[in-house]
Amino acid sequence: MPELPSSFWGGWIIVLTVGSLLVLVGLVLSVYFFDRQPDDHAEVVWDETLREGNHPAPLWWFWLIVVLLVISVVYLLLYPGLGRYRGTLGWSQGHQLAHSEQRYADEFAAPHATLLGQSLSELAQNHLAMDAALSLFRVHCGTCHGEDAGGVAGYAPNLTDAAWQWGQRDEEILASITAGRQAAMPPWRMALGDDSVTVLADYLKVIGTQAADGPQYEQAAATFAGSCSVCHGASGEGKPALGAPDLTDGYWLYGSSVDDIAHSIARGRQGRMPAHADRLSEVQIRLLAAWLVSRSGSTLPESPIQSVRDK
Amino acid sequence: MNLMDWHRRIERHTGLLVFGIIAVTSVGGLVQIVPSLFQTSLSTPVAGLEPYPPLALEGRDIYIRESCSVCHSQQVRPLLAEVMRYGATSKAGEFVYDRPFLWGSKRTGPDLHRIGGKYSDAWHRLHFMDPRAVVPSSIMPAYRWLAERDADTGGSIQNRMRALQLLGHPYTDRDIYFAPQRLAGKSELDALIAYLQMLGVSRPEGG
Ligand code: HEC
Ligand code: HEC
Ligand code: HEC
Repeated sequence: MPELPSSFWGGWIIVLTVGSLLVLVGLVLSVYFFDRQPDDHAEVVWDETLREGNHPAPLWWFWLIVVLLVISVVYLLLYPGLGRYRGTLGWSQGHQLAHSEQRYADEFAAPHATLLGQSLSELAQNHLAMDAALSLFRVHCGTCHGEDAGGVAGYAPNLTDAAWQWGQRDEEILASITAGRQAAMPPWRMALGDDSVTVLADYLKVIGTQAADGPQYEQAAATFAGSCSVCHGASGEGKPALGAPDLTDGYWLYGSSVDDIAHSIARGRQGRMPAHADRLSEVQIRLLAAWLVSRSGSTLPESPIQSVRDK
Repeated sequence: MNLMDWHRRIERHTGLLVFGIIAVTSVGGLVQIVPSLFQTSLSTPVAGLEPYPPLALEGRDIYIRESCSVCHSQQVRPLLAEVMRYGATSKAGEFVYDRPFLWGSKRTGPDLHRIGGKYSDAWHRLHFMDPRAVVPSSIMPAYRWLAERDADTGGSIQNRMRALQLLGHPYTDRDIYFAPQRLAGKSELDALIAYLQMLGVSRPEGG
């Protein structure tokens, strides 16, 4: 403990440690060599021949103890243990960690520099790098986005379809991972009332797959233009800068039933993607982003079948 | 009197023997434990460390009650692999307001010391209601009942805070007075999540 409060406690530890070692040495030596007694103490005899004596253990025990004593002395010289003394090796857990971090950095400096020099689409072609990205994804992202990035119903978006809620340009994807995202879809129940919400939900369900121009949609279209288009765009195509999703692509993060859609509108949604700047290095973040680019569009925009609320 | 005679005497007097055993076994404690009581780095909170607010404190007690430590540790050891997976090494000063600390020694699931901020509350809620909804291969049990039970257990939170205040946790009387209000309307699940979100977020400088 090099950071002991005072040299008093350092001395205390040294005295007690060295003292007990010395007592031990004295005890062992005297038991084996100086205090040997003739075996005349036996007073009780059991079972005709069994006598109670007072013998030291067999001699090989003595050598065992000697070896252990030598090991402890060598240990106390090499490693911290005697008060504030740091040991000749200067070893500490912190140093060891710093050392392995340095070794890691040195060993991977060149490959990391190469990887950092490549664009996401180049990285996406690098199979080795993509294998590494897959294991990174499983450890750091799979718990939310699903092990294969397919999304978790009603919670985290599918990252393998072609739809990008927060934008699909390289820097947008990188920003999503590095700084995180906080979606803010306000609740509309108070402002619009239950009926309007239902009408809107029906309308959105339709425009999710086809254009909805008929007169029966007029009321909903007007409400949408008034209340929703600021974020979701004039025709519901979404605004990546706000994380407002495209409502016309048939993909529903929070479930595709009219009820689920009405729930989104009535209560609002606040999806949060946590920041990873502190948890991952730049190389790791770029690898992950490249992996996402390589997977993008590999599945059809398919809505999670079941919403969490239904479970 | 020589040593063997001493040995005989000790062997035959229970009182002496007990005393001898206590004397010898206490050496380890005198060397390891006593100096650490005076080691300020063990009792000085790291910058930014706050005592658990009522809701998180309640959550901590639920963590203990549900024995989460059976499967989860709360200590990132100074090993490269752990630091890369979980984050900065745990420091003694981060556990000053943990009585008792919950370092644990079993890792059936991942370490939780740096779990604060890693997930959103919504994720935790999903995960506790049904771990397999988010991690299909998870063997963690579901904790649905936590969502149905009230976090407010009738004022006992104030007694617990007062006890900790006696031990030096910087709660003000005002904190304690308003504690039940902080729990009002919250479920045990809310409390547990509030606790998890606080874990390991005030990291020491450069750590
Ligand atoms: C302040 C900007 C904003 C306004 C105004 C807004 N939204 Fe949203 N909306 C969002 C954001 C951001 C999301 C994504 C929420 C998330 O990811 O958690 C969203 C999500 C949704 C969803 C869920 C989509 C899905 O995939 O499940 C629906 C439905 C929706 N909005 C409908 C509407 C309707 C209808 C209105 C008008 C009444 C409206 N929004 C107004 C920002 C807005
Ligand atoms: C706590 C759970 C959680 C973790 C962990 C997580 N994400 Fe997310 N992520 C989300 C949620 C929720 C959203 C959607 C946010 C919203 O509603 O706007 C999201 C959104 C994203 C987006 C934006 C998607 C789009 O369509 O624009 C990307 C990219 C992304 N995550 C990548 C990652 C990567 C890579 C990791 C691993 C380093 C990761 N996420 C870890 C929950 C998580
Ligand atoms: C039977 C062992 C077991 C018990 C008991 C258990 N867990 Fe878990 N836990 C796991 C396993 C395994 C995982 C990893 C798979 C997963 O995420 O579900 C995990 C994951 C977690 C995670 C996510 C960690 C991360 O970094 O992804 C949290 C948070 C968590 N557990 C909290 C708790 C809490 C709080 C309790 C007590 C109420 C608890 N666990 C009880 C086994 C357990």
